[in-house]
Amino acid sequence: MVELSFLDWFWIVAFMVLMVGSGVLFYRLGKRSEADFFLAGRGLPWWLPASSVYATHTATDTPMWVSGVIYKHGLAGLWYTFFSAWCAISAFVSARIFRRSLAYTQAEWQTLRFGGLPSHLLRGWTAGWQVFMNMFILGWVGIAMGKVCHYLFGWHPFIGLTAFSAACAVYVLAAGYWGVVMADFQQGVIAFIAILIVSFWGIAHAGGPTAIVAKLEALGQAHRLNPFAFTGWFGGDFPIAWFLTMVVIAVIGGFGMGTSIDWYAEAQRIQSARTVKDAAWCIWSGTALVLIRNAIWGAAVLGFFVLYPNLTEVKDYEMAWFRLGFDTLPAGMLGFFFAAIVAIHISTISTHLNLGAVYMTRDLYHHYLRPEASERQLVWVGRLSTLLLLLGSFVFGSIMENITEWLIFALWIMAAGVWLPNILQVVWWRFNGWAYLASWIANLILSWLVVWVLPAFGVIPALKDYQQFWLLMVLGALVYLPVTFLTKPEDMKHLVKYYAMSRPIGWWGPVRREAEKLGLL
Amino acid sequence: MALIRRNWNPKDADEWTREDWIAIVLSPLAYAALMVGTALSILLMPLGYIILAAGLALTLGMYWIINPKLSTISDAYEKKQKAYLEELERKVKWEDVP
Repeated sequence: MVELSFLDWFWIVAFMVLMVGSGVLFYRLGKRSEADFFLAGRGLPWWLPASSVYATHTATDTPMWVSGVIYKHGLAGLWYTFFSAWCAISAFVSARIFRRSLAYTQAEWQTLRFGGLPSHLLRGWTAGWQVFMNMFILGWVGIAMGKVCHYLFGWHPFIGLTAFSAACAVYVLAAGYWGVVMADFQQGVIAFIAILIVSFWGIAHAGGPTAIVAKLEALGQAHRLNPFAFTGWFGGDFPIAWFLTMVVIAVIGGFGMGTSIDWYAEAQRIQSARTVKDAAWCIWSGTALVLIRNAIWGAAVLGFFVLYPNLTEVKDYEMAWFRLGFDTLPAGMLGFFFAAIVAIHISTISTHLNLGAVYMTRDLYHHYLRPEASERQLVWVGRLSTLLLLLGSFVFGSIMENITEWLIFALWIMAAGVWLPNILQVVWWRFNGWAYLASWIANLILSWLVVWVLPAFGVIPALKDYQQFWLLMVLGALVYLPVTFLTKPEDMKHLVKYYAMSRPIGWWGPVRREAEKLGLL
Repeated sequence: MALIRRNWNPKDADEWTREDWIAIVLSPLAYAALMVGTALSILLMPLGYIILAAGLALTLGMYWIINPKLSTISDAYEKKQKAYLEELERKVKWEDVP
């Protein structure tokens, strides 16, 4: 339990008023139209969505996760966080293509890229899946805040789960994405300052950088300073095979759309940028800041390791960074630290409230139910969707302990068997909507078989996660490649329209020749 | 012809060229170097300074190469955006479905 002084409470109340108030201030801009409520009118300079990328991907559970992998593996654990590097290539490839399409969401993009029935099936599937996933993520992040508040103040986890998300919903309901991105900027600055102060304070408390290095050597743990401390090609808990798989997934994934679960949030930031150039730099620089932040945490957690080198329980060492703050900061600064944790928390909550709402409003209500809805109606449906997501997240958060394994599996489904189709849909003209749909259906079945069913019956051995990835990729290809060639290509007129607008990279020769013939290039 | 082109017209900028591929290669290397270099530099390890400096150099080089092209693409595309947005709204209202 942590005791807070008057100054601590002052920080907390002041920051809450500032964070919620700054979002509400943009109420008049948010209610103008659907484009304002969900994309801030597509007029933001690069640094605003960049700060939102950074703030969104700094959630309450992020320092716990980074602390866990660094404490366990040393600086080599930084590579677990390198999955976000898909933005390295995406910034100059898929972000550029997606921004030119002008689609509000990934689901809408699929109706531009594919035609006919499969495109509408895909739009409905993607939108429904994203509503579900955003509600899930809100519950996941929300209960992490519940745990932090329980650790600090002894509150029941439900209080931490609901109180801060509800406060955040005030400005998301009022101002939509305008409120999200403006508050994210301010929250991102607060969070980064707090991360610097707590991390360097913790490093100093551990004796300073030189002493940390010396203590690690004295403990016989110098390998923790080596980011490339592999445990062999295939053996141990950090094999080169895993590292290479991660690099392929992360880096090559940047050619596609949806190869990372984070793509869907980034897609909204890409579309809210005022130009193609702003879109590229917003996700590049936001992600660069995420990786630098992870490195700062990494050094600080090594400081924690030399202070407490013998922790074996995950629940103990995953709190490393939080403990550096709450165990070592002086009175009066604890409130600032907690306010920063609140900033970290609600920046993620606000993004997923608005992101889930855009799929519910634009792709389900507007597209399928009321195509002629007015701008005013759409903004109100956006608000209602936000409220539904908030309430749903409270339910998911309450039962999260029992379903974490399912969530990890759900994330795995997103990543493995559809990783390559997510690239093919961008780079290969012949890949059609039926094939993409087939890849999803096949993956839903195959991932169950490979991860659980076949190992349980002894048909295949229990595989490591990187082995499952490659196997699912090959098995999935055995389904969607025949479907591609056994079904007709997309209508050439549809493809030409898409090509002229988006100018995709890759194998688009026949479409390009047709577009040239029509004088569209 | 210069190895790196920095003056673009809208038509040429729309093509995928050598400059794009150089940025595609430099960008992940810059990310990795910035991440590893920062962690090691905070621990005052000399190798960290070198890697961090390399990360900054890669970032600046990438920006120098790709930014002029991105600027030209953006300027040209902004002029067409209004018509594409109208097309998008027609699609969401099912107007182009036969």
